[in-house]
Amino acid sequence: MLEGFGPIVRKDLRLELRSGESTVALLSLSTLILVVMVLVFGPGGARRAEVAAGALWLALIFAGTMGSTRALVAERETGCIRALLLSPVEPGTIYAAKLSVAMIFMAEAGAGVLLILVLFFNLEFGRALLSLIPVFLLGILGLAALCTLLATVSGRVRGGAMLLPVLVVPLFIPALIAGSKASAAVLSGQPLGSVITWIKLLCAFDVLFVAAGYLLFEHVILED
Amino acid sequence: MKGAVSIALAAASCLSMIAALFMVFVYAPTEAEQGIVQRIFYFHLPCAWVAFLSFGIVAVAGALYLWLGHRIWDDLSYAAAELGMLFCTLVLVTGSIWAKPIWGTWWTWDSRLTTTFILWLLYGGYLLLRAFGEDNQEIARYAAVLGIIGVLDVPVIIISVRLWRTIHPAVLLTRQGEHGLQDPRMVAALLVSLGAFTLVFVWLLWLRLSTLRLRARIGGLRKELALLEVAGAGARR
Repeated sequence: MLEGFGPIVRKDLRLELRSGESTVALLSLSTLILVVMVLVFGPGGARRAEVAAGALWLALIFAGTMGSTRALVAERETGCIRALLLSPVEPGTIYAAKLSVAMIFMAEAGAGVLLILVLFFNLEFGRALLSLIPVFLLGILGLAALCTLLATVSGRVRGGAMLLPVLVVPLFIPALIAGSKASAAVLSGQPLGSVITWIKLLCAFDVLFVAAGYLLFEHVILED
Repeated sequence: MKGAVSIALAAASCLSMIAALFMVFVYAPTEAEQGIVQRIFYFHLPCAWVAFLSFGIVAVAGALYLWLGHRIWDDLSYAAAELGMLFCTLVLVTGSIWAKPIWGTWWTWDSRLTTTFILWLLYGGYLLLRAFGEDNQEIARYAAVLGIIGVLDVPVIIISVRLWRTIHPAVLLTRQGEHGLQDPRMVAALLVSLGAFTLVFVWLLWLRLSTLRLRARIGGLRKELALLEVAGAGARR
């Protein structure tokens, strides 16, 4: 069923290894968002964990949507999408591969963001940061699932690159609430078990939208 | 035939709306605690019902479009999304007008308000896509997918927002007394109003759908005309 999955992922990763464009774009954008957050809210204070969690998710959501737009625009310009559609690979498999690549890029950017976050907000390297990782990974899976499904808008509509966040952010709000609440709790030192409700919600969100993306991707990827 | 349906729907909508106005302002008694302001509820709830109904239609028509591929389903989901946005806006506006005297604030991040507002944003995005995109199959399919995942998102939004609010301290002094319709006359007024709004919705949907169908036909005729012109120019040469 997943024949062709490996080659597509390898191709995208190799492309990224040679150009590094997505990494640079994602990291610089998310760093800027973090800087703005620190300047606006101040690095210290009693609500440090909440502001840090908010900054993390804000950076992620905008870097993520823009990153996926960029990746897809390049694919269209080089005609790669058409070649993929001509190849005997199922649309669902293309979706799975693109989702995995988007997830890898977001995780990479997220690792960078986390590092900067620790420095800017003067957080401790430790258990709190480790507990953040599952929350974070579940969150970016949901975001990547939505972005990968909806990113094709950027090539089809005037101002599509602007439109993608407008479409993705309202859809992502449940995961955003769950992710930021869980992150804030974990960063302020609570154990992972105390945020299990939010984690369940994130899991449900991910399952729902990965499945929806897998089934619906063929309709958005087809060209007339 | 189409004209007759339209006239019948218009007449039914007007008559039922007059009946609903009578029921709301004359027949139903004034609520003891909230006074005259409570009467806006007879418009608020039907608007919410119609808004949710249209978002459902957006998704179902979108799925039918992806499945069957006939343009009429795409037009139906577009028309329903526009009306859903209109009624969702009315829900937020009537809710605010009610909330100011009763809660003392125009807006509060109560779970139901937040959910409605998120839906408003979601379908606002859908309409932006329709407005920016051209009238072609790619956009139609994309919009159908968006409509489907939008409706899939609704239960998750409701759950997450509810959890979010229960964790925060309650801002409100009183809970919304929506279920306090003790008087059977109030229930009757609400039901008539619900029926009237549903009829108005069906009528507007019909009108909008007819316009979109006409637009599609004109588009088709233009294309034909352009082809004929090209053929004519070729023949003259």
